[in-house]
Amino acid sequence: MRWNLTILISVVVIAVSYGLYQLSYEVQALEKNIGKVRSEILVNEQAIQILKAEWAYQNRPAAIQELTAKYLPLLLVAPYQVVALRELPERQMDPSVKNIFGVPIPRTKPRFRRIPEIRLPNGALHMATYQLPRAE
Amino acid sequence: MGAFYSSNDGMDKAAHRSSIQLEGSAKETLEQGRNRLVVAGVLFAFCFVILAGRLVGLALSGAGLSRTASEQNVSPKAAPIPLVGRAPVYDRVGNLLAITLDTVSLFADPTKVLNADDAANKIKSVIGELSSSSLVTKLGSKRNFVWVKRHLTPGQQQKINDLGIPGLFFRNEEKRVYPLGPLTAHLVGYTDIDNKGIAGVEKYFDEKLSGKSGAQAEPVHLSVDMRVQYALRDELSRYMSIFRAVGASGLVMDVETSEILGMVSLPDFDPNRPQDFPNNNKFNKTTLGVYEMGSTFKTFTTAMALDLRSVSLRNGYDATKPIRIAGFRIRDDHPKKRWLSVPEIYMYSSNIGTAKMADAVGPKKHKAFLTKLGLLRKPAVELPEVGAPILPPRWNSLETMTISYGHGLSVSPLQLSTAVGAMVNGGIYRNPTILKQADAKIEGRQVIRKKTSDIVRKLMRLVVEKGTGKKAAAKGYLVGGKTGTAEKAINGRYKRDALITSFVSAFPMNNPRYVVFAMLDEPKGNASTHGYRSAGWTTAPIVSRLISRIGPILGIPTIDEGSEKMQRLMHIPTYSREKKLATF
Repeated sequence: MRWNLTILISVVVIAVSYGLYQLSYEVQALEKNIGKVRSEILVNEQAIQILKAEWAYQNRPAAIQELTAKYLPLLLVAPYQVVALRELPERQMDPSVKNIFGVPIPRTKPRFRRIPEIRLPNGALHMATYQLPRAE
Repeated sequence: MGAFYSSNDGMDKAAHRSSIQLEGSAKETLEQGRNRLVVAGVLFAFCFVILAGRLVGLALSGAGLSRTASEQNVSPKAAPIPLVGRAPVYDRVGNLLAITLDTVSLFADPTKVLNADDAANKIKSVIGELSSSSLVTKLGSKRNFVWVKRHLTPGQQQKINDLGIPGLFFRNEEKRVYPLGPLTAHLVGYTDIDNKGIAGVEKYFDEKLSGKSGAQAEPVHLSVDMRVQYALRDELSRYMSIFRAVGASGLVMDVETSEILGMVSLPDFDPNRPQDFPNNNKFNKTTLGVYEMGSTFKTFTTAMALDLRSVSLRNGYDATKPIRIAGFRIRDDHPKKRWLSVPEIYMYSSNIGTAKMADAVGPKKHKAFLTKLGLLRKPAVELPEVGAPILPPRWNSLETMTISYGHGLSVSPLQLSTAVGAMVNGGIYRNPTILKQADAKIEGRQVIRKKTSDIVRKLMRLVVEKGTGKKAAAKGYLVGGKTGTAEKAINGRYKRDALITSFVSAFPMNNPRYVVFAMLDEPKGNASTHGYRSAGWTTAPIVSRLISRIGPILGIPTIDEGSEKMQRLMHIPTYSREKKLATF
């Protein structure tokens, strides 16, 4: 009984110390790893800084204006040529269209206030444009 | 522990096994030894129990002194994202205006350089801009640290490294970079080679940007809009070259918050290499420069007279003859030689009428009014380069008369624009700012009545519609403004051939959102202006083009300014007493 207890205790001591050493090594390895990851983060961050500066440099208005002058035959935009989406009039449904299902699927322009889509009837579907010009 | 117990056991066994009874002194000694052993054992056991209990307690609760220290090392806080060096500067939508990049600098330890001449030649083959003589003296000196070149490019660093010269070393450094170049030069400013802010925002917010005072370095968000700033600079530089002006200045300001959306002073410089530009270019004409602004001041005089009810729109003054006072002669540039009503005085920019208007109010009230508008003291704005206005030594009737039309008092374009903003926004003065403001309403102080502000709006619109500023009209927007042509005072005398022409405007006049200011320094007339150099010919077109450009960017809805509704909205009777030819 006495010997059993001694053996048990020594086994426990060996197991615990093995476990502790293992833990300690693992922690050391992780610490080394985190140091590496941090320095990588630093390098990447510096690279990002450079890319940000590059992006800002390439996007400076003077450069863009030069490029538009070179590649786009456009004049200065006049204020009346710029219209906000909400200023556009609602599209009127063509009065000759008798059947709403003949109108192609986005039946309304995308607006800020969405008009709910009309449900299609159950059953076989038909191509939207197929019916459109048919005059009764 | 094991040894302790086993020896104890052995004792017991020995006591049991031997049935010999010891007597006398031997027994006493044995008893004493046993007692001591038990006491020591109990003490040790007690200590171990405490240690074990503490261990269990720590493992379970985790409370204790040692934990805070370990926590700092282990918790996620231990992996802070290192903000590299000086913090960046952004515009109002987040475009980068200034950023810090890591670079490498080359230094030498001359005591370790074997052959200075050879090393100097080799270095010069890579970095051509260095002079070989100064390199040789540097590398031959007896010090143990000399800078060879700050901020190398990666290619140069590689080549220097490949040369393999002993005694040369690299040091990691930071360099401030301004990707937009000269676009926001005066606003953002620049830093010296050691990244210390020495102008503009870089200087004013140096501590915040560098995190010097122990705090984390924080980026600065300016109120300036890169697109507006570019349009402003583009138009100003275009007209500066058309009219061969020596300088130009421009400002776009939000009237509701007094945020500066664009601020340009020409000629400017590239903050990436400020040493290559003369000091003249680094002078910020918009905030540091103070000028006699000329007729734009008539806006304040008229507003004051109307606000103090010294005169009504129906009244007017006789502008037939120039005023003679104290040896001066006040005359009109566009003489009408007749009685002019208040709207006419403003519209035709009559010096005589305005001087009489101000004289009727009196110097004391005039001075108090201009103080309220922040025109008589240094404006509070987040820049180190802010000029204080130049006041006349005395302020009597003569000074009131000249200041009424913008001569004798020098103010900066920033002050003028802020005051004009207060004239048109309903009469509330707010301090100008270059920092992006939160959406909350900025507090201000009421300087004129709202009703007066409405009249000023209409008067400014009248100038563009029928008066001296017709060329400032922009299709689609109700532009209102006032021209200002002043002779430059050089060595105490007005020079007739050197003018400062300015135009201060606001748009859209039915509900003003932005103040636009443009100024040209010494413009010369050309064929397109029939030789005229006045503000109506030279600076009003800048404002027209600029508003057409920035209106859509700022999302101002266009209107048909010729429509009957707008005409009625902006209508102001002129009460003219001009004799019509048809009535003879």
